[in-house]
Amino acid sequence: MKRTLGAAALALASLAGAGPASAEIVARAVKADLTKPDPKAAYWQKAPVEKVSLLAQPMAIPRPATTLTSEVSVQAVHDDQWLAVRLTWKDADLSEAGRLGEFSDAAAIQFPVKSNEAPPPVFMGAKDNPVHIYHWRAQYQRDKLRGKPTMKDLYPNLSIDIYPLEFKDPGSLGETPTAAREQFSPGVAEGNPQSYAKTGVDEIVAEGFSTSSVQEGHGSAAEGAWANGEWSVVITRRLANEGGSTLKVGAGSFMGFAVWQGGAAEVGSRKSVTMIWTPLRVDGTQLALGVAP
Amino acid sequence: MSKVKNWHLGREMEYAYEESRPKRQWAIVFDLNKCIACQTCSLACKTTWTSGKGQEYMFWNNVETKPYGSYPLAWDVRVLEKLGPQTWAGGKYQGKTIFEGAVPSERAVHFAPTDEDWMYPNVGEDDCAGSVPNAGDHIGELPHDRWFFYLPRTCAHCTYPACLAACPRKAIYKREEDGIVLIDQSRCKGYGECVRACPYKKSMYNPHTRTSEKCVGCYPAVEQGVQPQCVVNCIGKIRVMGFINPPWKARADNPIDYLVHKKQIALPYYPQLGLEPNIYYIPPVHADPAYLRQMFGPQVDGAVERYKTLHKDPVAAGLLTLIGSTDRIMHGFRVANGVARGFDEAGQEIVDVPVTEPIIERPAVDEKTGVVHYNTP
Repeated sequence: MKRTLGAAALALASLAGAGPASAEIVARAVKADLTKPDPKAAYWQKAPVEKVSLLAQPMAIPRPATTLTSEVSVQAVHDDQWLAVRLTWKDADLSEAGRLGEFSDAAAIQFPVKSNEAPPPVFMGAKDNPVHIYHWRAQYQRDKLRGKPTMKDLYPNLSIDIYPLEFKDPGSLGETPTAAREQFSPGVAEGNPQSYAKTGVDEIVAEGFSTSSVQEGHGSAAEGAWANGEWSVVITRRLANEGGSTLKVGAGSFMGFAVWQGGAAEVGSRKSVTMIWTPLRVDGTQLALGVAP
Repeated sequence: MSKVKNWHLGREMEYAYEESRPKRQWAIVFDLNKCIACQTCSLACKTTWTSGKGQEYMFWNNVETKPYGSYPLAWDVRVLEKLGPQTWAGGKYQGKTIFEGAVPSERAVHFAPTDEDWMYPNVGEDDCAGSVPNAGDHIGELPHDRWFFYLPRTCAHCTYPACLAACPRKAIYKREEDGIVLIDQSRCKGYGECVRACPYKKSMYNPHTRTSEKCVGCYPAVEQGVQPQCVVNCIGKIRVMGFINPPWKARADNPIDYLVHKKQIALPYYPQLGLEPNIYYIPPVHADPAYLRQMFGPQVDGAVERYKTLHKDPVAAGLLTLIGSTDRIMHGFRVANGVARGFDEAGQEIVDVPVTEPIIERPAVDEKTGVVHYNTP
């Protein structure tokens, strides 16, 4: 099984390699606080735009039937400590997930962890050759802005007599401890990051398909804005991460991309992805902002 | 895809992973002739496992009326209609399983249930197939021309689970020690692939934890040699949980093997889907045989006939009296001298019951004390 997948990856990689060589994403320096992601910042007007092609994820089953996001526009800047990446792509509806069958719009950027000359397989890395992924979801952003939705938020007409240990009138019993109540929510009780309110972006380390696991944040943030059928999302990350991807000013690395259209039921392995790595150069020169209009 | 042996189909089939049977396999046998849809099992399960937030409409165990009931809505016909012809010949399934019929980009032929589909757990309850009875009608023959029956359902902890095959995160696993299939609640990201892929629709989405959840086979009880909540709380004593062996390892003194392999009165439901499900049903003798055939396969006619004469077999009658007589898991049983005995894994006796309850007659009035005996148990 593994051998077949490897062969398929090789075939696809050589296929992708046959096309025009991918251009480079150049991140120049800006004088800004990049710990605060801002999709509308002025420097995005000047940062060079690299258009990156995506295809329906072709490897892991289940796969999407068609490519829903064929292109994502990528820009990047840095402030010597943080790298900010702005992704822009077309998506007709804003989807934030919630109930069963509702999925979130999402995007992810991926970096090799090891600074080898040749990056790992672009399809989420390989054993002992991991990738560091920053995964933004509209759902996570909703959490950040408005809190994790309650059942009443998701189902406004919901009526329930009682949840375990949650008394409408606690009376002399008093409030029950949160931990006792959370025993009845397995994902929460197990500490699954998925079951907690999100801060906008998940940091993930993966060594191939099916291996991704959410890590304690090394330092990242994200902010997205949807308008007129288009998402504009900024993901910012620390340049240096112990145990994760580390970027150096003046040096090169690689980036991979993935986009999910939640409104069209894209989730998990149903996504559009880049088939090859795009080179990234963190440039020491200052981004020329020009004269403000 | 790998070639695996599925004895329900009488042939090999395609599956995402290699054949890897657990050391022993959790299984339940339900006698559908006895179920009265009291829903005690549903509530026993619900109060044990799914009383939390996001589980409001979640019933890991449900009981639906067939043919018109279903939870979620029309789960059975919606997957069956996508599967194509489902014919059998000589004990061998000729059609495609959900794995074999899937397009290359999917693990299984499936449909995605909507939120609303889960909101009517009692739809079709007690709705009868056939014409409405008129005054004076008498239903006197088997099978009945007007019929319905109750179908209690848990996760089947399948030998070839579609949920497990479809999870791109490999967050679902089948335990080697008992074959119970679990969703790792610390790893699931709620993609809902298992909810789509399970044809029996026994993976469910929890919007509060944002993960999918399913029947856990009451594994904490099973680990202690105790049967699941839905089994031990069954007031009709219609079900028994134990460990099933594949036919080539069947043991006649194992209660589940006895009913499934030796007597061949308990059958898997919708075996043609290809999952080798591990819940088995003794089919209802009164229902339409054509309906039963599409649900239980071509062996159902024989199973119905054998069940009708089962009471004449003292061993079988003994086992039926043992069912529901102990909370413990019976690994073995023996019937001798009018007594049926159940044994645990170590071979220690855990229960004994008379095959025929003694009948004691007493006068309606005790002349000595003047007490009138009422016939209330």
